Amino acid sequence: MIWQQFLSLAGSYPLALRGLGMTVVLSLISLVLGTLLGFGLGILRTGGNRLISGVIGAWVDLIRGTPFLVQIFLIFFILPEFGIELDAFTAGIIALTNLAACFICEIVAAGIRSVPTGQVEAALASGLSRWQRMRQVVLPQAMRIVLPPLVGQYVLLIKDSSVVSAIGLTDLTRVGWLVVQRVPNGLLVFLLVGVGYFIVCYPLIMLARRLERRMGAAHGEVQL
Amino acid sequence: MLENFSFRTIVEYLPLFGQGLVTTVWLSALSFVGALVVGIVLCAMNLQRGWLFRAPAKAYIDAVRATPLLAQLYFLYFGLPRVGFVLPELVVGILALSLNSGAYIAEIIRAGILSIPRGQVEASVASGMTYAQRMRLVVLPQAFKVTIPPLLGQAIVLVKDSALLSLISVAELTRAGQLLASDRFMPAEGFLTIAAFYLLLYYGLKGLAVVSSRWLGSAGARA
Amino acid sequence: MTANPKGPANMTQPNPTKTGMIDFRGVNKWFGALNVLKDITLSVKPREVVVVCGPSGSGKSTLIRCINGLETIRDGDLVVDGQRVGDPATNMTQLRTEIGFVFQSFNLYPHKTALENVTLAPIHVRKIPRAEAEHAGRELLAKVGLADKVNAYPAQLSGGQQQRVAIARCLGMRPKIMLFDEPTSALDPEMISEVLDVMVAVAEEGMTMMVVTHEMGFARKVAQRVVFMDAGAIVESGTPDEFFSHPKTDRSRAFLSKILRH
Repeated sequence: MIWQQFLSLAGSYPLALRGLGMTVVLSLISLVLGTLLGFGLGILRTGGNRLISGVIGAWVDLIRGTPFLVQIFLIFFILPEFGIELDAFTAGIIALTNLAACFICEIVAAGIRSVPTGQVEAALASGLSRWQRMRQVVLPQAMRIVLPPLVGQYVLLIKDSSVVSAIGLTDLTRVGWLVVQRVPNGLLVFLLVGVGYFIVCYPLIMLARRLERRMGAAHGEVQL
Repeated sequence: MLENFSFRTIVEYLPLFGQGLVTTVWLSALSFVGALVVGIVLCAMNLQRGWLFRAPAKAYIDAVRATPLLAQLYFLYFGLPRVGFVLPELVVGILALSLNSGAYIAEIIRAGILSIPRGQVEASVASGMTYAQRMRLVVLPQAFKVTIPPLLGQAIVLVKDSALLSLISVAELTRAGQLLASDRFMPAEGFLTIAAFYLLLYYGLKGLAVVSSRWLGSAGARA
Repeated sequence: MTANPKGPANMTQPNPTKTGMIDFRGVNKWFGALNVLKDITLSVKPREVVVVCGPSGSGKSTLIRCINGLETIRDGDLVVDGQRVGDPATNMTQLRTEIGFVFQSFNLYPHKTALENVTLAPIHVRKIPRAEAEHAGRELLAKVGLADKVNAYPAQLSGGQQQRVAIARCLGMRPKIMLFDEPTSALDPEMISEVLDVMVAVAEEGMTMMVVTHEMGFARKVAQRVVFMDAGAIVESGTPDEFFSHPKTDRSRAFLSKILRH
């Protein structure tokens, strides 16, 4: 009985690989897009313009305040009413990118705010332009604060990508759901699904912890 | 466009949304209490010296943090009947949320305890306190203050995560939205309404976080 | 209350063509309801070294921070190197490249080496080729006695060394004016003289300088003028000898008796 299940599970490995591939592709695309967008938004958020900063803050709050599942449903079912036809993959990318961008925006903004004003003043006093101040002085220092939570955010993003299975995308979680209909051993099937995510996420979690520790040490160093 | 947006349908379905909201609130509250218990036990295990308790606690926390809640939910939903526990979806959902959030709460509490300066512990050792006295009188009261804000943050995450229970047919808020969307083909009415309800809960908890941090701040100043 | 500096360097002609390097004319500044600069009129000639002193909160730091626009003024005129500060027609970024500013807390870039700190603005603002900027940067660091610390990061340097790098960083821009905001206040006593020596050398090369400091030895050695501020106004102004030996007001006497006691 168990042996038969194993055989049957082994037979589903191409499907499982496809699911894992989908999870990785979804996560990777939205991770890159979300990071770029998030940095842009974070810089605008801390820029002088109150209106822009306020609008970004309000949008971030809306996204943080609602479940990701609801956001996916909204994008997938409501954008078509505005004449924007989406397949599930595009809807998933949009939803994940938006989510990542919002959280990364706040991480980047916090990093920028953590840079002492004296640093900006010194850059200002030596005539660096706005972009040069950001590029040469502020961002490199902000990165020490930004990096650990940024990597942590990537882990969350990969895990959140499982929710797109709800609109029918065949990612790793959806594969588990399909297989469990044929092989009725939920413990085994979802244990394997979990192992798949663990293999992708755990190295990132370790990386985030290492960065955090190194940050702490570096902080001690800087103290005068 | 949304020119057919029907507030009348929303009003018609309001009792359903109301029930969903109430269910979301109490199942989240119950799950949070469960998560606190799980978190405290895990944290206590994790702070022990020997590996006998620490290793399993660490492994559990890592396993939960490195896998999605949805996969964990399906693991329990499809797996528990396999080992003879046929439970209602609602119970499975609360169990999954408690076990998941518990791992995060364990880390929050641990960070709180570790944030207490060494000097505090040394001072209490010097004045002859036992381990239990040290914890009860010196460490925990200070750690409590540090952990409240991130705990409220975790509560917000938990409320949002509870939306996933709709995928195993628990009749909570998101499920209500799905029903309206599928019964009447009105996804806009269904999902925008529940989004508004979730925002209500979000801003409520966020307000609580602000009030508590102010209160804790002033308590800190008094101490 | 209006300041009326009597020093020989005082020029009060409103003619904009015959101005000093730095010209305050009736400058006022408020923080909320607090009048932090009261009707400041002060002119600094090219190559002149002016020391500004006064009790804490007297507005002396604010005064020099206005010169490169780190603080904005409410009314009055402030003309620096022929350009009006705060005028929309003035390119402040361009003007700032002509003004070196040394901070009390050094504000070196912690993620850059000493040499990179010195060459950053020359490369990116002055558009000097990297090799040339680095050559000049090494010479400047050698000049402030840090030839062996070229590749050190700020965290690896003592306070005195950091402040000397900060001075070299300003000199790298070949400024016309150098401003010093309590450059030795954050230093341990044994490091103060190494920084003052560098400042004396800069002054002796003919740099126009305004220095907020209580280092009276420095003032006697290189300053042509000492300006004493209290409660946002210039109370007294004169040569170091006049000021230290014969302070004219009660407030300056009280101040001097406090700082000279240490």
